[in-house]
Amino acid sequence: MRGIQKDLPEFAAQGIRPVAISVDPPDVSEHLRQKQGYTFTFLSDPNTEVIRRYDLLHKAGGPEEHDVSRPAEFLVDRSGTVRWENFTEDIRVRPRAEQLLAAARAIQW
Amino acid sequence: MPDPNQKRTNSALWLGLLITVLGPLSNFLYYSKVSAAVLPWLNLAIPPAGLLLVLIGVARAFREPQLYGGKIVGSIFTVLATLLFAGSVWLFIHVRDVPRSAGAPQVGQSVPNFTLPDSTNQPVSLAQLFSAEPGTAQPKALLLVFYRGYW
Repeated sequence: MRGIQKDLPEFAAQGIRPVAISVDPPDVSEHLRQKQGYTFTFLSDPNTEVIRRYDLLHKAGGPEEHDVSRPAEFLVDRSGTVRWENFTEDIRVRPRAEQLLAAARAIQW
Repeated sequence: MPDPNQKRTNSALWLGLLITVLGPLSNFLYYSKVSAAVLPWLNLAIPPAGLLLVLIGVARAFREPQLYGGKIVGSIFTVLATLLFAGSVWLFIHVRDVPRSAGAPQVGQSVPNFTLPDSTNQPVSLAQLFSAEPGTAQPKALLLVFYRGYW
């Protein structure tokens, strides 16, 4: 997240809009945005409705057995088609902003 | 009788403890540039390496007490290193306990539409995310980042 924020101008230059999605309610996301200085959009799916639709539900994966989203990244074009995606096998391992940018650069939009 | 002052330093014991302590600290490397392909294995390998050295040190202390000290300290270190070793194995398994998500949209497939509230509680649809924000051009693509949450 921090890397995405740092490279936000580069994402914008490539025409990529980052959007973060989690089970956090809007006020928690807003708190995180304020605290970390994130300026991109954060969406809230506390009922895991959309997370389920994307088959990303990690049942009891959060603290106190809360259902959360597994980490996953998608590059989606204007037609709504997935052009690139990444599913980590280790929640500590996430793609860095430069890897996301490199993936986006390799695509003919 | 050898002079007790001439005891050798039980270096294996201290080096082992140092490595054991480095085990949990190595998790902070995820914020660094170290390759993510190596890190999980490094995190897993450090504690047993530390434990092995501590055990060598303890074995020395008990087998050659006239040469090496560290019976008590070594025993404490052994317990510590064993706990950290068990913890690192548990962590390695736990962080990989991620659902396979076989039903997630694949490359070339359409993503399911959605409308979700943003952090100011305004509903935002997938189509709206593609509309131009003030001062910026219309995005060519969205980078949807699903994450575990901030809690």
